Amino acid sequence: MKQEKRMRQHNENIETEVSKTLKLLDEVASIQLTHKFRTSLMSRLEREIVQEKAGRHFGFRVDYRLAFMMLLFVINLGSTMLSVQQGDGSMATISAVPYNQTDDYSNQEFAYYDQTASYENQTPVIVQ
Amino acid sequence: MTSREKLFRSLVDDHQEMVVNTCYRFVFNREDAEDLAQDVFVEVFRSLDQFREEAKLSTWIYRIAVTKSLDHLRNLNRKKRFSSLKRIIGIRDPSEEIAAPSHDNPSNAFFSNERAKILQDALNTLPESQKTAFLLSKQEGFNNQEIADILKTSVSAVESLVHRAKKNLHNRLYAYYAEH
Repeated sequence: MKQEKRMRQHNENIETEVSKTLKLLDEVASIQLTHKFRTSLMSRLEREIVQEKAGRHFGFRVDYRLAFMMLLFVINLGSTMLSVQQGDGSMATISAVPYNQTDDYSNQEFAYYDQTASYENQTPVIVQ
Repeated sequence: MTSREKLFRSLVDDHQEMVVNTCYRFVFNREDAEDLAQDVFVEVFRSLDQFREEAKLSTWIYRIAVTKSLDHLRNLNRKKRFSSLKRIIGIRDPSEEIAAPSHDNPSNAFFSNERAKILQDALNTLPESQKTAFLLSKQEGFNNQEIADILKTSVSAVESLVHRAKKNLHNRLYAYYAEH
C-alpha cells in the first residue's frame, strides 16, 4: 500500500516536471526587433541590388555552379582532344590487338614448351 | 527606387517580426534567428519575380522561413556529428575552444537554462513535419489553415501532426525525467 502510494507520488512528480517543461514554449516572449536588424538587412539588400544591376549590365548573373561545371567540361574536352592527337601514330587500333597478343605469345621467350621437343628422339632410361 | 524595391520594403515592414519570431521558435537563439530572417528576405527579394500567386505572399514568405530554419538545424546537427567524430579520432577543433556566446540578452537567457535544453533536445528527436506543425501551432498568429498552407497539406493532417508531436514530446520528456 505504502509502495503504491510512493509510486503514484513519483509518477505525479514526473508529470509535473513534464508539464513545467512543455509550458516553456507557451511562455516564450516575442522578439522585439532592433534598429540594427533593419539597417543590416537594408545594407545587404543594397549589395544585392548592385550585384543584380551589374549582372544585368553584362547581360548575365554570375552563377558560380554553372561556371564550375563549364570549366570541368572544357578541361574534360581538352584532355580528350589532347590524348586523341598524341595517340594518332603510336596507339594501336582495336583490330590490331589480337594480332599483337598472338605475336607476343609466339615469341621465343614465351614458347617454353619448345624445350620438350629436344627429348623427342631419346629413349627413356628405365632404372631398375 | 523601383516599384519592386518599394514592394519589397513594404513586405519587410509587414512581415519582419513574424519571420524573425518564426525562426526563433526553431533555433532558440536570437542572433541566429535574425541572421536567418535576413537570409529569408534576401531570398524573397531574389525570387519575387518567380512568385506565382498560388498561395498568399505571406504564406510563401513563412514557408521560406521554415525551410531556412530547418536547413540551419540540419547543418548544426551535421556539424555536431562531425565534431564528435573528430573528437573520437583525436583531432582538436579550434572552433570548440572559442567561448560560447554570453546570455546577457534576456531572450537568449530564456533558452539557456537546463529545462529549455531538455525541451530543445526532445524537440530535435521529433520528425521534421511534426516539429514544424507543433512549433508553428505554438506561435501566435498562425491558425491551422495557415499552417496547412505553409506545409502544403490539409488542416486535418496538421491537427494529426500536432497531436502526434504532443504525444511523442510528452513520452520523451517523461522517459527523460523517469531516468534522471
